[in-house]
Amino acid sequence: MRPRRNSIRFAAALLATNLKASLMLRGAFAMQVIFMALNNFTFFVFWWVLMRRVPEIRGWRLTDVELLFGIVAVAVGLTITVAGGVRYLGHLIEQGELDTLLVQPPPVLLHAVGMRSQSSGFGDMVSGLILIALSGHVSWIDTPRVVVAIVAAALVFAASGILFFSVAFWLGKSDTVARQMWELVITFSLYPEPLFGGVLRLVLYTVIPAAWVGYMPAHVARQASVGQLLLLVSAAAGYLVLAAVMFQRGLRRYASGSRFGVFG
Amino acid sequence: MNRKRLMVLWKYVAFARISARHGRYDRTELYGRMAFFVVILGVFSSLWRATREAGLAIAADPKSLVWYLASTEWILLSAPLMHVDVQEALRRGDVAYQVGRPVSYVGATFAQGLGSVGSRSPLLAATAFLCAFAFTGWVPPWSSLAAVVLFGLIAIGLLTAFHLAIGLVAFWIGEVTPLFWVWQKLLFVFGGLMLPIRLYPPIMQRLAALTPFPDILAGPASFVLDGEAVAAHVLILRLAMWCVATTAIVQWMYARARRALTVNGG
Amino acid sequence: MPDNPAVELQELTKSFRVRRPTGRGIAARLRDVVAPQTHAVVAVDRLSFSVRSGERVAFIGPNGAGKSTTLKILAGILHPDGGTVRVLGLVPSHQRHALAFRIGTVFGQRSQLWYQLPPRDTFALLGRVYEVDASEHRRRIDMLVTLFELGSLVDTPVRQLSLGERMRCEIAASLLHAPQLLFLDEPTIGLDVSAKATIRELLRAESYRLGVTLLLTSHDTGDIERVCDRVIVIHRGRLLWDGTLADLRRSYLTAKRLTLWTEAERLDVGMPGVRVISSHSYCTELEIDADVTSLGSVVDAALRQSAIRDLTVEDAPLDVVIRTMYADADARGGS
Repeated sequence: MRPRRNSIRFAAALLATNLKASLMLRGAFAMQVIFMALNNFTFFVFWWVLMRRVPEIRGWRLTDVELLFGIVAVAVGLTITVAGGVRYLGHLIEQGELDTLLVQPPPVLLHAVGMRSQSSGFGDMVSGLILIALSGHVSWIDTPRVVVAIVAAALVFAASGILFFSVAFWLGKSDTVARQMWELVITFSLYPEPLFGGVLRLVLYTVIPAAWVGYMPAHVARQASVGQLLLLVSAAAGYLVLAAVMFQRGLRRYASGSRFGVFG
Repeated sequence: MNRKRLMVLWKYVAFARISARHGRYDRTELYGRMAFFVVILGVFSSLWRATREAGLAIAADPKSLVWYLASTEWILLSAPLMHVDVQEALRRGDVAYQVGRPVSYVGATFAQGLGSVGSRSPLLAATAFLCAFAFTGWVPPWSSLAAVVLFGLIAIGLLTAFHLAIGLVAFWIGEVTPLFWVWQKLLFVFGGLMLPIRLYPPIMQRLAALTPFPDILAGPASFVLDGEAVAAHVLILRLAMWCVATTAIVQWMYARARRALTVNGG
Repeated sequence: MPDNPAVELQELTKSFRVRRPTGRGIAARLRDVVAPQTHAVVAVDRLSFSVRSGERVAFIGPNGAGKSTTLKILAGILHPDGGTVRVLGLVPSHQRHALAFRIGTVFGQRSQLWYQLPPRDTFALLGRVYEVDASEHRRRIDMLVTLFELGSLVDTPVRQLSLGERMRCEIAASLLHAPQLLFLDEPTIGLDVSAKATIRELLRAESYRLGVTLLLTSHDTGDIERVCDRVIVIHRGRLLWDGTLADLRRSYLTAKRLTLWTEAERLDVGMPGVRVISSHSYCTELEIDADVTSLGSVVDAALRQSAIRDLTVEDAPLDVVIRTMYADADARGGS
């Protein structure tokens, strides 16, 4: 158990250092937070305008959209604050900067995802919490369930990013594509599930796990079915394990040096 | 005199051409945008169909709303994000270096932006057309599409100029990315990116009319909507007015920046 | 006499498969993705050497010579194809985690200090990275701050430090967890002359005092000459030279540089084995191959033409020596 406890201590120290660095430039920090919150609210304005004219679309009302948006916003905000390094994983792999991490004791993946933090994530979390509160679908007693739902959503989101960016171990310059795939997860997660037909719905539960980042967590946050809660948690765990395994395999390939002819 | 003017113009055309050719090498980002285009049109065609089902007619039928979105997105995605380039150039001190050359920095940068538009917008237009057709099985009358393209191109030019202006603000405040985000979100909302402005509450419509946003997105795109498109002569006048205003603002900003650079030595 | 070497390599071998583009155009590009044409490149070819604990060794080799590959294998970043490697008694490819606690790195071009924060915060984080006991960590920080004369620098945000001050903090950071072996890559790059001198002196002194083995790579020959005692030259994956700097100079190149300041405006010394490097008014620089002609005879010849006001004699600069070495090796067909 000792190695794991040290990893937790390390992760906590890494996060603390990140937060301290973010707060060093107060002005920039505040701007990032405020503008991200503004960003999310204006995105939401579309639905507000639309639903004033059409109060219900395939069973979805404005409050349902508010909850969905809120959950996704908090989950994404949490990920980019705590695991902000996911976004730069492709870059690290392609530029050979994993070397610096391999030479140090902490687990490479943990170090890589934790070494950066984006302040705008706080804007996401604040705006998300406001939207969740506005939706009126959850009350204080539901807090534990909501927390579980959000954390599960964040884990799936982070894991999907790790999976997409790890492709760089095999295909090299895939950073742009990976980033766009990852952004697609967010894009899809913000739209009500009934809009999507059969094949696409299958994709959203598997390859581009937007349903596990938006729809399912929002659903679980509202209702108490234990089965569905367990399903969400297992899905999150499953994606996380998959991501860790894929990264380890990629790391082994990295260590064999079979990158694109970089040697010297 | 005429030949001299022509030579000066040719300089800027050269910048545009280089930029267009350069665009051919960094296609990944463009392809990503095209993929996003496909996704967003797909999602929205589904949404508009569902809205129709909800019984309420939205004063526009779902098919034309999808074409509307295709048009606004085409305009939006065709304009290169100049503010990043200008911000970087200012940060690196490139601008101070280029001030001495016999070309106007803003003129050259704008020309490069137009070149980039030239290489991006045809591909994006093709994507827009094909996706909108695939998702709706319908094509608007050619005259409407022609109007969208004509006014759209002017709008794209105007939007590029605005991006350039935002980039120049970096001279005073350094990091303009948050400013750009706010601008972009205002554009989405008051430009009627996803929903025609006529469907907004009246106060919002009145507010929007005071800004250039509706003339950039909603105006040109409205030609595909059945029913009242925005009056063409009004739109052209407004676009012209915004173009003149933006040119003046950009020139003024650049002159101030240049004076400060040459006085203080960058 | 320590009998356990810090580093020990025997017949180390490593090859890479390099993908070669077959041509331009879409057909060729598709082919490259589906069925890539690869050929094996030998990066390290049966390399053997050992480094004693506390030694300061410089690695020299042109880019693509296998130098970085060797160092990455030593650090456990790359896995070798053949041969045996032992670093501090551990096998890097199998015991990377354990090894990580005992080695440190200093990259001249990449900083491990957090830019917005004072170095002390990075030190604290490194304490967690290397799982150092808190009180021991505090003691070590205090010791290093004193040794390196960092004083108030540790509490100033890194972005406000000069490059030289930053490098001193970087090196201190790399020594926090008491590593037995330190890898250094271009540690004085971008520094001004006095900062370079400070860093070099620091590295040499502290390596001696703390007993840390240094493995240095640098294109700055000043680093090599001032910090290290031993030079290992790697060319085309093979060991070209392994010995002291003095031996390198003495046995490899017998050229000397002679600079003469004369009363006459121009000097014309056309002797075999003498090459004119530069000729200015009243000053001439000559390169003399001591195998062909003696220094004395050149000076005699010059004296016959003009009185000599001043003269200096130097060994050939290190980079010339090394370049000659590569050229010779290439000429011999990389044997």
